[in-house]
Amino acid sequence: MESKLAGKTVLITEATRNFGKCLALAFAGEGSNLMLVSRDNPNLLEQTRREAQALGVQVFTSNCDLSTESQVEDMLGHCVSQLGSVQVVVNNILFPLPQQSIAEIPFELWKRKIDVETTGSFLLFKQVMPQMIDQQWGRVVNFTGLDAFTGADVMSSTTEMALVGLTRGIAREYGNYNITANCIGPGGIENEEAEGLHSVPPGRRDAIPRWGTPEEVAFLAVTLCSEGASYVTGQCLLANGGKHFL
Amino acid sequence: MDTGLAGKTVLITGATRNHGRASAIAFAQEGANLLLCTRQSMDLLEETARLVSDLHPGIKVITGQCDVTDEGQVNSFVRKWLDELGSIDVVVNNAAWRARGQLLDITLEDWQHAVNVNIHAPFLISKAVIPSMVERRWGRIINYSGIAPFRGASGQGTLKLACQGLTRAIATEYGKYNITANCIGPGSIDVARTQGQESHPGSGGIQLDIPVPRQGTVDECSATVVFLASEQASYITGQTYLVNGGAHFL
Repeated sequence: MESKLAGKTVLITEATRNFGKCLALAFAGEGSNLMLVSRDNPNLLEQTRREAQALGVQVFTSNCDLSTESQVEDMLGHCVSQLGSVQVVVNNILFPLPQQSIAEIPFELWKRKIDVETTGSFLLFKQVMPQMIDQQWGRVVNFTGLDAFTGADVMSSTTEMALVGLTRGIAREYGNYNITANCIGPGGIENEEAEGLHSVPPGRRDAIPRWGTPEEVAFLAVTLCSEGASYVTGQCLLANGGKHFL
Repeated sequence: MDTGLAGKTVLITGATRNHGRASAIAFAQEGANLLLCTRQSMDLLEETARLVSDLHPGIKVITGQCDVTDEGQVNSFVRKWLDELGSIDVVVNNAAWRARGQLLDITLEDWQHAVNVNIHAPFLISKAVIPSMVERRWGRIINYSGIAPFRGASGQGTLKLACQGLTRAIATEYGKYNITANCIGPGSIDVARTQGQESHPGSGGIQLDIPVPRQGTVDECSATVVFLASEQASYITGQTYLVNGGAHFL
């Protein structure tokens, strides 16, 4: 099945570590040109860039803290000048923190997590949506996680649910421009810990009692961004081996 | 039905009018004592207190000024009244601020203010009150979601769902201490809005083509808030109860 993503400009945030890198390679495999972004990991970003470029597509990178409006502006300016307008955003934004009780979290740390993941996403889409509206086409994929549904960690439950909400908002407000927005909720993926997420090992009661792979998540992301997924919007699709049903 | 709330202390933020005032009256009716706060509208808060005292003279009603988005103010407010009253058994995080409009219309300033009120405030209040609930092995936290997360709205929908995430995490972490945390999700309710917070035409704020084809009342919401706080609701936690006339089914 053809995704029709060849030649499209795909922006991927936190295109580092396992998830982000895997996403970059999956879109490169479809022939998309990539703008890869990371807040604080230029080395891993460069590694992803080299591997994606080897698949024959154009790849640019940018270090950008999305919670700073001017940095988002600079990053998008760089993207547009090199690759043209953004057509697809895969927002893998993450400010990983160890699991903590609400009783222990300093307010400053809580605020920083929400600034980077929630306000950062708000600022990113506020600047990207006009480009998609101009083109009358766009795809948005956000990442939530298992904590949003299990309440396993107060910081990630809060920010992951916020991204579900932002996804629905974009879907509702910009659907008439052929822009879809959906959310992927991974859980129990083998590289979660390396990714900075809370690792959820396979359990006996899981529907599919094994680790999932980042490739399985990336496939879902590519599918949601494909031309054929044009009537799927505002949804949250869980890739968690059946650990939680919506 | 005895809700088991008589003699308990209920903290309601933003209890100046609408939902907050209706909840204050509903809890007083159950015999609960009230601790009411507001950031700036002390006149309206005192009016709520007078109204409650007139209806239920036996109830203790305390009012205080507190900016619930300010960590220092929240901590000293909660500490002071815990010392004085011995316990805060129920928290109703009712204070609200709406980031209105679509994504491209929302200014960073308005967004930030809405983040402060809808996410940071319930976090700070819960963080301040929960240790005493843990000690007493009993507590109820009730947060406000709304209709926006289910209809889809970049501003309010995002922040209200974040608040649901916070609620689920509190439920998960503290259920073993008989502390429950839930959200109420009011639909289109007939309320007075602060200037600049009105639903504007075409925003989808008021839609009456729903199974119960009218706006709801704040009393219909406060009945659900009281139920969630009651002794009988002790096995309900991490949930969002929608009071929306059937505007959205979960």
